[in-house]
Parts: sequence; structure tokens; C-alpha cells
Amino acid sequence: MLWNAQEIDLFLKEKAYIDTVVIPLLPVSISDGTRQEAEQAEFISLLTAMLERQFKGRMLLIPAFTYMTSRDHRAKIEELKSWCDELSAQGFAHTVCITSDTSWKGHEEELDANIIWMPSIPLHHMDDKYKRKIVDDQVNQLIKIIVQKWQSA
Amino acid sequence: MSNQRVSRRQFLNYTLTGVGGFMAAGMLMPMVRFAIDPVLKAEAGGDFITTGTAEDEITDVPTRVDFTFEQVDAWYTSEVTQTAWVYKDGSGKIVALSPTCKHLGCTVNWEGNPDEPEHFFCPCHNGLYEKSGKNVPGTPPTAPLDMFEARVSDDGILQLGPVVPNTIVK
Repeated sequence: MLWNAQEIDLFLKEKAYIDTVVIPLLPVSISDGTRQEAEQAEFISLLTAMLERQFKGRMLLIPAFTYMTSRDHRAKIEELKSWCDELSAQGFAHTVCITSDTSWKGHEEELDANIIWMPSIPLHHMDDKYKRKIVDDQVNQLIKIIVQKWQSA
Repeated sequence: MSNQRVSRRQFLNYTLTGVGGFMAAGMLMPMVRFAIDPVLKAEAGGDFITTGTAEDEITDVPTRVDFTFEQVDAWYTSEVTQTAWVYKDGSGKIVALSPTCKHLGCTVNWEGNPDEPEHFFCPCHNGLYEKSGKNVPGTPPTAPLDMFEARVSDDGILQLGPVVPNTIVK
């Protein structure tokens, strides 16, 4: 389900079937890394949107967890942890965070969530057909990971 | 020749008629174009979208066909990609099923579950559909898969139209 009024109505009605929540993690800064971060945001948004389309009936895609890149690492983790705790208290069995930001690597155990790290691909240079194929491949990988998590739960 | 001189009056008549004619045509042409525009538009093929798949590529095994069109949503224009599962039925008629699960809208896949050959499978809540799109009782979906209107263009390319309720399931 997408985060909009129409689909949230359906979500509220069918809550019992929707046990997975997806949070994109997006860094923001105005510095040397701005360009990369914009690229990541574009890629991750596209990826999560495609993923949502595959699994519309079992996952809720919520607005991204955004943070300033310069923010203290611990504070960031604490903040995301409070999101995850709140969401699992609300009855979501699976919380999946998707990001291209390497700073999240190695912090999975501290959170009650799965952090999936995807390498960001600069899409803006590619022509449409190629772009679609690459994103499709990435989405298929994500699908496999998520189906596995569902089956192992 | 020399005694057929063009008088000043004749010369002015010719030039003014000529220039006036051009001006009148310049004004009338767009009006006529606007007036007959609906007639020209009607031939442009309605709501069917041409896919990248030729008719002879379609077999009796459902294959994924992606097609793209522009969608205008209020002030936002976006390119939308849709998918259809396309195959030929026993009599050679093209069937294009929508991949949207009738339960909660996930995307179903042909033989998406190795344990259920010859079925469409929805990974979200294990919904099952037969090849015709008929939902298997006992799984969450309550209705058969929708289908796209399908036709073949003059040069043998598959074209897909609007989504309609399934007509092959009785």
C-alpha cells in the first residue's frame, strides 16, 4: 500500500493481511556528497515504489526516514530504533529498511528490523529501456530476500 | 503585346484580390482544421497501446508483456509501465490477463510457486488462479483475474486496451 489517502483507507480495512512495513532511509546534506545523495534518493524511491507494486497487498510503504548526513551516528540509530519499535508495537511483523547509505552497514542487530543495503546506480545517464531492465533486476533480488524472510518467519 | 498593357486599375485589382485571398485563406484554414479535427482524431486508434510483442511470439504459455504509456494525474504526467500475462487459448484467441491480484492488489506470477505448476501464484497471501484466471477456491482471492482487451494491429503487433472483467471464466 502506498502512503496516500485512498490506499490507507484500504489498509485500515485490511490491516490483518498487511504485516510488513518498508522504510526508505535517505541521507540529506548540502556538501560534496549532495549529488550522490540525490542519486541515492532517486534510486531508492524508484526501487521501493516498484517493490510496493509487487507486494501491494502485504506491505505498507511509509514516507522515508530522512536525516542530515552530519547528524551524530548514535542519535540517528536511536531515532530509527524508535520508529521500528513503534511500528512493531503497532503489529507489523516485518520492518524492512532499504538504503544506499553505507553508514548503516553493521548496525542491523541493534535494530528490530532488516536493513537491506542496495548499491546506488546512477540512472540519469541511461536510456529508458536499459534503466528499466536494471531496476527490474534489482527489484527481483529484493523480492527474493523478502519472500525468504516471509517464509522463514 | 504592347497594346495589351495592364492598366493601373487592373494591376491594383489583381494584387489586392491576391493578397486578400491569402489573408482570407490564412483565417479560414485554422477554423476548418478545428472543425474537422474530431473526424481526424477518431482514426487514431482509441485507447489501445502498442506493445513490443509480435503476434507470432505469443504461445500457449502465459508470457509477461510489459507496456508503457503516459498517464496524466492532475498536474503530474508520468510514464506508467503495466504488465500483462499473454497467451493463446485452444482456439488461437489471444488472452491478456491483468497481473493484479483480486485480493489486495499484489502482482501475480505464472508458476510463481514451484509447487503449483500451471497456476498463477500471488506471493503475498498464497492466492492461486488457474490459467484462465479463475481463482482457486480456498485461497484468499474472491474473483477471477481481470483481463485487458487485446487485438493485433495490421502489422502483426499485439495491442492492449482497457482492463475489463474476466470474460472467459464461467
